[in-house]
Amino acid sequence: MPESVWKLCASSLQDELPSQQFNTWIRPLQIDAESDPGLLRLLAPNRFVCDWVNEKFLHRIRELVSDFQSGQVQSVEVGIRPRSGMAARRPANQPPASQGYPQGQPGTGAAFSNPRPIKEERPSPPGSASSRMGSSALAPESASSGDLLGNSSAQVEVEGALKHKNNLNRSFNFTSFVEGKSNQLGLAAARQVAENPGGSYNPLFIYGGVGLGKTHLMQAVGNALVDKNPNAKVIYLHSERFVADMVKALQLNAINDFKRYYRSVDALLIDDIQFFAGKERSQEEFFHTFNSLLEGGQQIILTCDRYPKEINGLEERLKSRFGWGLTVAVEPPELETRVAILMKKADQVGVELPHEAAFFIAQRIRSNVRELEGALKRVVANAQFTGRSIDVDLVREALKDLLALQDKQVGIDNIQRVVGEYYKIKLNDLLSKRRSRSVARPRQVAMALAKELTNHSLPEIGEAFGGRDHTTVLHACRKIKQMQEEDADIREDMKNLLRSLTT
Amino acid sequence: MANPQQLSLGVSLNDDATFDNFYAPEGSSNAATLELLKAQAEGRGEWFIYVWGRSGVGLTHLLQAAGHRAQDAGQAIQYLPLREVVGFAPEALLEGLDQLDYLCLDGLEAIAGKPDWEEALFHLFNRMRDAGGRLLAAAVQGPRELPIELPDLHSRLQWGMTCQVHPLSDDEKQLALRHRARARGLELNEEVAHYILQRVPRDMNELFCYLQRLDHASLAEQRKLTIPFVKKVLSL
Repeated sequence: MPESVWKLCASSLQDELPSQQFNTWIRPLQIDAESDPGLLRLLAPNRFVCDWVNEKFLHRIRELVSDFQSGQVQSVEVGIRPRSGMAARRPANQPPASQGYPQGQPGTGAAFSNPRPIKEERPSPPGSASSRMGSSALAPESASSGDLLGNSSAQVEVEGALKHKNNLNRSFNFTSFVEGKSNQLGLAAARQVAENPGGSYNPLFIYGGVGLGKTHLMQAVGNALVDKNPNAKVIYLHSERFVADMVKALQLNAINDFKRYYRSVDALLIDDIQFFAGKERSQEEFFHTFNSLLEGGQQIILTCDRYPKEINGLEERLKSRFGWGLTVAVEPPELETRVAILMKKADQVGVELPHEAAFFIAQRIRSNVRELEGALKRVVANAQFTGRSIDVDLVREALKDLLALQDKQVGIDNIQRVVGEYYKIKLNDLLSKRRSRSVARPRQVAMALAKELTNHSLPEIGEAFGGRDHTTVLHACRKIKQMQEEDADIREDMKNLLRSLTT
Repeated sequence: MANPQQLSLGVSLNDDATFDNFYAPEGSSNAATLELLKAQAEGRGEWFIYVWGRSGVGLTHLLQAAGHRAQDAGQAIQYLPLREVVGFAPEALLEGLDQLDYLCLDGLEAIAGKPDWEEALFHLFNRMRDAGGRLLAAAVQGPRELPIELPDLHSRLQWGMTCQVHPLSDDEKQLALRHRARARGLELNEEVAHYILQRVPRDMNELFCYLQRLDHASLAEQRKLTIPFVKKVLSL
């Protein structure tokens, strides 16, 4: 009985949720076949998913369950799938002895079920290359001063190559990270890892487009680990650096030092691992480093511009290992988050940024956070140069070149054409008085886009859509906003259209 | 600091180009840009600035001026005109440049759409940022429009301080011409400047070439710049 109810629920949720959310949270849930008939018990692959579903979806699942049947299933709960594959009878919120992924990997299980706390100190043989490299990683000042202690020249050079500070940017911390729908999941995962490094979410794999905060999240974990234990050996580096260090070590016949160094860290943070693609020797080396760290219960965090399976030129065994821990996506920030990011950034540099001004920037700059920061820099510089305080007029002026160009690119006629093509309706119909849904909905979408993407007034937009009143435009915008909240299709349509119009 | 490969390509700084002989109308956005560049060149202010503007607005001048200022301040710098070096292997060319204090990359558009260059610059960007170096890049388009294909590089180019260098109006060009003449120790009065501007192509690079010819002729013949003299020298 619970099984058929769950099928109905899941299919409803599939309609209600954006596909990515559904795939991330609902699809992995399995029904516990051994639970009582009156209990719908769902099993999540790990604690993270379990907590997330409990918090965000349990209420809705319960509603759906009571809609779809009449009382046979009295309660719903979500637990964690035990590693053995046997259903465990445990209340949903009690942590299990082990936490799901990876299931039964030989040789690594212990590391996962027994997260190793970061050691206070990691003794290493005095005089060995790794101990000196290690200490340099803990002491940024000495690392940058360039004085080396080694004896042989090869050793010195390898140390030179490896001897970079932990590279963490202290400003990338959890406090300075602005949370929004788009990065909520990544943030929650990063916090978990910071709390419990080397635990279940190992590796933590963060993927998403450029400038969305992957590096920030990753470094926030690193900084949190160092805050908790200043002796923690946390290394952040770009994948290119790893490759360069390895090549250098190979050239100097010091690959063992290289190995020792990277395997001695408490947490290894590698950014943009897509740049490993096609570099087979580096992948090989990284593969071994990776395994060694996982076995030792040391934390690995990776970022990438895409989902592991989609990285071309990367060995299958690496791809599959990347998925052993937790893989989370960060999405482009939505308007509210963009505003919040701007406000926070302004606050950090001690600049008064009125909300309308932030809103004005955020409405126009949507692709990524770097561009947003660049725009704010421009605005602040203009304010300083002119001695004026920041308001919408100053912002408009400061971003004039940028915005003028965007306005030029996205005119109302352009929007009408793109929307027409997208929904396969004629321009004439879009501008006509016809009110059939097949035409009216695309028209409303186009109006909403025109309001969002251009600086035209509402009367101007109405005029451009076959001489309509500005209240019609207003209605269309409200309608589409509401529908975006309720209808996944419209949400998807808007996303696609925005993308094709603004990039 | 060591000075790897500095100016090793026979690419040198033009002695003529300084901040002082770059004309920016007072209170204009070009003047604001000039301030930002000065600060950067002196080791203050922004670590990464992207200047852009159409050909002839003086980007190369600004980059060279920034290079001079930084060099005067005792920094390890390099000016790299990408248009001229784009045929080389980027890894080899850019290796070690992240150790510089200040790097000026001119003509970024030359490497747009070249995957090896884009990736090499992306890595250079990251390394310079990590190492605390400073970077000044110039292009004929804004960072958003520049057709960079590697999104990682593209977004980074939009991250810094972006300054558009605006073309001058004809009146301002006239002032710029006189400003530059004065910097060369040459007296060019308003009437003569106006006369020149009305008769030659008004691209700033061209205008300055004419000015140079006039300067040489004036020296050679020990003549002041009068309309008849200009008319003769420039065959107008």
